[in-house]
Amino acid sequence: MSAPNALRDLVARDLAPARPLAPPAVRALALVPIAAAIVASVPALYELRPDLPSIGALRAFGFSIAQAIAGVAIVAAALRESVPGRQWPLAQVIALVAGGLLMPLLLPGLAAQAFDVAPPPAGAVPVGVACFRTSALAALPALAASALLSARAFPLRPAVAGALYGLGAGLIADAGLRLWCEFSAPAHVLAAHLGAVILSMALGVAAALVSRRR
Amino acid sequence: MTEPHHDELEALMCEYLAGRIEAFDGLYAALGTRLRAYLLSLCRDSSVADDLLQETFLQMHRSRRTYQPGRPVAPWVFAIARHVFLMHRRGSARRVRFLERVAAAVGADDMMRDDRRALADVDAVRRALRAVPADQRRALVLHHVEGWSFAEIADRLGIRLNAAKTRAFRGMRRMREQLK
Repeated sequence: MSAPNALRDLVARDLAPARPLAPPAVRALALVPIAAAIVASVPALYELRPDLPSIGALRAFGFSIAQAIAGVAIVAAALRESVPGRQWPLAQVIALVAGGLLMPLLLPGLAAQAFDVAPPPAGAVPVGVACFRTSALAALPALAASALLSARAFPLRPAVAGALYGLGAGLIADAGLRLWCEFSAPAHVLAAHLGAVILSMALGVAAALVSRRR
Repeated sequence: MTEPHHDELEALMCEYLAGRIEAFDGLYAALGTRLRAYLLSLCRDSSVADDLLQETFLQMHRSRRTYQPGRPVAPWVFAIARHVFLMHRRGSARRVRFLERVAAAVGADDMMRDDRRALADVDAVRRALRAVPADQRRALVLHHVEGWSFAEIADRLGIRLNAAKTRAFRGMRRMREQLK
């Protein structure tokens, strides 16, 4: 079977040496400095969590660094998803999303002294809004970089790729936030921390769909 | 026909990435038959499968940078072929909606019920489409029938984004005038 002349001519006219994209895990390394900057900038712009002396640097920084690494790993998974023929099976997509969403739910409690450290009732809403806003804004640089990296490949399921890199970016931002926020009460964690990660996922889906349409 | 070994396909793909058209010929010869059979199993229409096969190789050409040397070629190409089929199916659904919209615009509400009249209307649409200038018709069909975005149309036709939008809009206006 030989290529039709019209197709062959079209390809021949446009054919130039092309450098293949690096493997997804290597491309995701571009996010490491961005993730480090995000994690460092939240406590640098605000302050370190006040209970740091009691929980210890290892619990505070260790969990944040672990979560940031998990965020970069999930972005790498999104970049793999963006390569034709390397899409994740649905069960693994669900496992990645569920595992990613569990981190901001569980780590605040594990890092804090208890699972019910709550802001004072009068300050619950302003603290929640501040955490949500900070986390959502901090996720944007990682989200933009991931979206660019994904769009340079050819995501055949852009919504899945976008959800994954949005989740990764959200986790990176939340890792920085935890160096500032000491609260672990379920209401605060669900609304402010998990909410911001889910918003980042939604923005990732939107970005992937828009870049696909263009 | 024996199936090519994945090492041969990988070598061809690497040569293709290096810019050798002979490697493209080799890939077409090695994968064309299997891909066509796969596309035929999806769309169940021989002529559509032929079109989709060409579109698959075009899409493969556009996204050849996403192939990772060292990995098998077939899953990469077949994933692209499946995507091309899904885009075609989406375009077909749009085509039906487009014809329904045009029929509604000319007052043919009973188009779907009355087959003879429907055929006449479709014929009228075709005639009206032929009356649209070629450049506008191309943009109109690519956007409203095939489901391409304006950016993709601009890229394919080598024109600016606004020009693609304008051509599609003017083509649609001209077509409506023809159908009145």
